Amino acid sequence: MLEKMIIFLCLFGSMAYLYLAHGLTFGTLGSPKSGFLPTLAGTITLVFSLILLCRQSHFREKKAQLPVDWTKFLFIIIGLLFYIIILNSIGYFFATFILLFYFFKLGDTVGWVFPLVISLCSCAVFYLLFSYYLKVTLP
Amino acid sequence: MDILNMLLQGFAISLIPTNLLACIIGILIGTLVGVLPGVDTVSAIALLLPFSYGMASTPALIMFAGIYYGSKYGGSTTSILINVPGEPASVVTCLDGYPMGQKGRAGAALTVSAIGSFIAGTIGLIGLTLLAPPLAQAALAFGPPEYFSFALVGLIFLSKLTGTSALKSALMASIGVMLSTIGLDSLSGISRFTFGMDELDRGFNLSILAMGFFGIGEVITTMTNVKSKPKIPSVKLQDLYPTKEEWQRSTVPMFRGGIVGFLVGLLPGPASTLSSFISYRLEKRCSNNPDEFGHGAIEGVAGPEAANNSAISATMIPLLSLGLPFCGATAIFLSAFMIHGITPGPSLIVQHPELFWGLIASMYVGNVLLLIINLPLIGIFVQMLKTPLNILMPLVAVVTLTGAYYINNSIFDLMWVILFGFLGFLLQRVGFEPSPLLIGLVLGPELEWGLTQGLIISNGSIWSLITRPLAGTILALGAIVVLYNIICFTINNSKKETNY
Repeated sequence: MLEKMIIFLCLFGSMAYLYLAHGLTFGTLGSPKSGFLPTLAGTITLVFSLILLCRQSHFREKKAQLPVDWTKFLFIIIGLLFYIIILNSIGYFFATFILLFYFFKLGDTVGWVFPLVISLCSCAVFYLLFSYYLKVTLP
Repeated sequence: MDILNMLLQGFAISLIPTNLLACIIGILIGTLVGVLPGVDTVSAIALLLPFSYGMASTPALIMFAGIYYGSKYGGSTTSILINVPGEPASVVTCLDGYPMGQKGRAGAALTVSAIGSFIAGTIGLIGLTLLAPPLAQAALAFGPPEYFSFALVGLIFLSKLTGTSALKSALMASIGVMLSTIGLDSLSGISRFTFGMDELDRGFNLSILAMGFFGIGEVITTMTNVKSKPKIPSVKLQDLYPTKEEWQRSTVPMFRGGIVGFLVGLLPGPASTLSSFISYRLEKRCSNNPDEFGHGAIEGVAGPEAANNSAISATMIPLLSLGLPFCGATAIFLSAFMIHGITPGPSLIVQHPELFWGLIASMYVGNVLLLIINLPLIGIFVQMLKTPLNILMPLVAVVTLTGAYYINNSIFDLMWVILFGFLGFLLQRVGFEPSPLLIGLVLGPELEWGLTQGLIISNGSIWSLITRPLAGTILALGAIVVLYNIICFTINNSKKETNY
């Protein structure tokens, strides 16, 4: 199911890309313009996606996959997006502290004190390393 | 003689304290990357790229090279001790390395693997020293059609050799080429596919993509697959000595693996992984005891480990002499050159001889240091293996995000990293390898420049483009691979239909 969704994504993506490439000048063989390679690349991607889609509907190969905790997956994405949102408003130190603590708890780290201490220490080390030693301009 | 003189000058450069320190830091990080499952070479280099802005170009590139070849040394440790390959090239080492560990010969397997890596690494480096300069010299005469042929055939070979489905790899590579067209067109100056966003005018940064696919993607994969940690055996210093029989059985495979690895490394694709598989099959075929393979045959450790290390040096040849990366790690290494304002390729040896020879000499130095440092430190690496992944992965996530932010001081880049991480996780789950996409992204501009300029030069005549001797030969090679793929695909399909 997931594989089919990804192939469809590639298929529609290449169609949209080809549509946008159509707006660029293609040129001629003797004088190719900015739309030349995009049109070729888009067409090739479209063809590959179609072949894969046909192949996928013909032969369904069942492969053993590692089990995934999809709830955890969702919470990881939410955590990362939340980090981006709060990074500029509360600054690198506090945003990173929150992200680390959240991820440690999400990763089933036992207790509350240990993840809190580890998050605080790691955050301080990162801040010192990046801000003072590597001179990174942090938010 | 000239090469020898230049190499000696390279040694003088690589032994300057700053460069030597960079080399040591690089190989230690590389070994750590190899030892720790869940962190791979491409993501490690990608993570550290932004932080090298403040460094001088020579030590920075020496450090990245150290990470690249150092990771191959470390990769075997986890394969032998816990049956989990530290990086893809060490998958084969699990087959015989782990059974050796179960029989109490883990120390001997680690020693043979380290010495094999050293011997083969040296074979590869000699090949690199001898081949890269003449190839760079010859490449000065290459025109756009030749570069177009190299880039196109590189992508074709890559789709054949990635190990996953050829069609899926080809699709990924073509998406990479599509992504490479986003931003300002260098030939016409027209903005393409940017939707009016100024941030996209520069196009996609390779580091951002690599950090997303390999950094955040790996964090998501590991954190959503928490498994119980295996028991790690302890290895003492006295356990590291192989027996006389083990030495005798592993000497020839080390040299054979070195040669096989070097030859495979010249081809586009994941050379180190592929060479280790080829070497394993070759050793099994050459062995007097093929039945022992899979149950702890020392040849099954010596050959593949030698092969994957030798391949590393060979993959540097197209990068340094042609400026074309043929695998994920060299693609990201190319980006390290670029951020330091250096373009690898035929002109590198002329414009920056100190860097070119210093880098090659540092690889010889690093190879010796790896042998000296690795064996005594094996106990520490075993301890590091005990680091819980639920502690390690959040830290990797923070380093990735900080590194991505540092490139352009942009939150916009962080969004791309998360998006590509999300996509990388989903793609890998269904067998789409992201490496071809990265190479497509790197080779895309080369492909476009070669094709458009070649067509302009030949007045639009495709025939005169493909009948140039070198370009024609390379394209013919690519055509043979495509035909071979189609034939195999048809035969496999008809077999499957018969089975159904």
